Amino acid sequence: MKAGIIPPLLLGAGLTVAWEGYVRLASIDPLLLPPPSAVVRFLVRNPGTFGRNGAATLSELLVGITFGILIGLSLGILMQVWHWFRLATYPWLVATQMVPIPAVAPILVLWFGFTIVPKAATVALMCFFPVAVSTVDGLGSVNPELIRLMRTFGAGPWRVMSMAALPSALPRIFSGIRVAMALSVIGAVVGEWVGSTKGLGYLMLHYENRGETDGLFATVAVLIAMGIVLFFIVGWAENLALPWRRHAKETL
Amino acid sequence: MTAASGMVARGISKTYRDGRRTLKALDGTDVDVPDGKFVTIVGPSACGKSTLLNLFCGLDTPDTGTIDTPALGAGPLLGRVGYMPQQDMLMPWRTVTDNAAIGLECMGTDRETARGQAREHMDRFGLHGFELSYPGQLSGGMRQRVALLRTFLCGRRINLLDEPFGRLDAMTRASMQAWLLDYWQENRCTIVFVTHDIDEALFLSDVVHLMCPRPGRIVLSLDVDIARPRSYGEVVTSVHFNELKARLLENLGRAQ
Repeated sequence: MKAGIIPPLLLGAGLTVAWEGYVRLASIDPLLLPPPSAVVRFLVRNPGTFGRNGAATLSELLVGITFGILIGLSLGILMQVWHWFRLATYPWLVATQMVPIPAVAPILVLWFGFTIVPKAATVALMCFFPVAVSTVDGLGSVNPELIRLMRTFGAGPWRVMSMAALPSALPRIFSGIRVAMALSVIGAVVGEWVGSTKGLGYLMLHYENRGETDGLFATVAVLIAMGIVLFFIVGWAENLALPWRRHAKETL
Repeated sequence: MTAASGMVARGISKTYRDGRRTLKALDGTDVDVPDGKFVTIVGPSACGKSTLLNLFCGLDTPDTGTIDTPALGAGPLLGRVGYMPQQDMLMPWRTVTDNAAIGLECMGTDRETARGQAREHMDRFGLHGFELSYPGQLSGGMRQRVALLRTFLCGRRINLLDEPFGRLDAMTRASMQAWLLDYWQENRCTIVFVTHDIDEALFLSDVVHLMCPRPGRIVLSLDVDIARPRSYGEVVTSVHFNELKARLLENLGRAQ
């Protein structure tokens, strides 16, 4: 992990230097493409703005992700234990992903007003699906021989689910959650675009309308940072939840 | 047979259908398992040995025939007969102790009590010091010890072991055989042991049932009248052992 952080930082630094050099040498209009130094300057001068709006987006993300994961897990488990439910719902769940979020978001604002609810809902709408799909796949991948063995011990279906299926599905469920994390940021921003008075998505529109391209870039930088941190928090939680994987690697 | 019966199978058949093909795994065979004895079913691969165990532990039901368990009384087999599958089926996310405790937990013992009982037996099963290891960190022999502990902790009167040492190297296998005999001598239960290794069958057992494929059936039942405790080196080099082995091989050749 520690050695793994150096290559991406090096690449990032290299790209930033190239960008800065290009903008300066080719004298690009900063309205079209501001140099990284200007973006950083903007960030440093407006910590309060980014703090306030970042916090708003973060709370939408956390609420939305929590609900998205809970809904995805519940649907996945229900679909696995109840075959009829799976047959009935799977196509409709796929259908929810075909509905463009920008089309749904205004309707959610109509229903719930300028509150946190429509943003959290768009986040949850994008998050639940990868979690549900990976839960179904994960639960289905449990070794049937293990289930048979547990039945000879007298285990019922619920114990098989909690002792065998769920733990063996965890690695896949975590993959689904990581995909959900990457999507969640888009959900929050789109939710804010259609109706809000704060948040990073709102801030992006604000700077765009005023022609402050460096502010727009700075906002995107904060969003990226947020998404990356969320993504790595999941990786860290995965390591905690799956300690046997760490140990297995040690013996190699 | 003079001993009390542990398990009696009469005329059991089992046919599997795989699409258009049908496979007659067992064809009206009889099996006697005397109570408290070490019984081995030996035979070539795919002769129906595993099918027989699946019927004995209640995971499958025979198409025809009956399986009675005088030693257990009436009732379903599933959940009352111990079973150790061919693959160890350890859960990679559970430590050695927690894996060994699975059977007890499924039977309704609370987790801490089950763990405590597992810990008490670590020494006897050669797992001392590995209580907190994960299965991925263990050798093949140690994994089998965990699986055996998981099986025996349930305290079942009849235990079915499906080729428990089949994947071990010859030396590990010999030491595991000796260990199993030792353990069984201290803690008597009925064992039905499946293997394709004739030496292993004769060395371990009181009774050897020879099974032949297509269709699967018992073609010879042999009482192994070699005194216990047995030591591997003495037994496998003795004249009597080799006479018994010759009889088994001869019948195997004739049946195939």
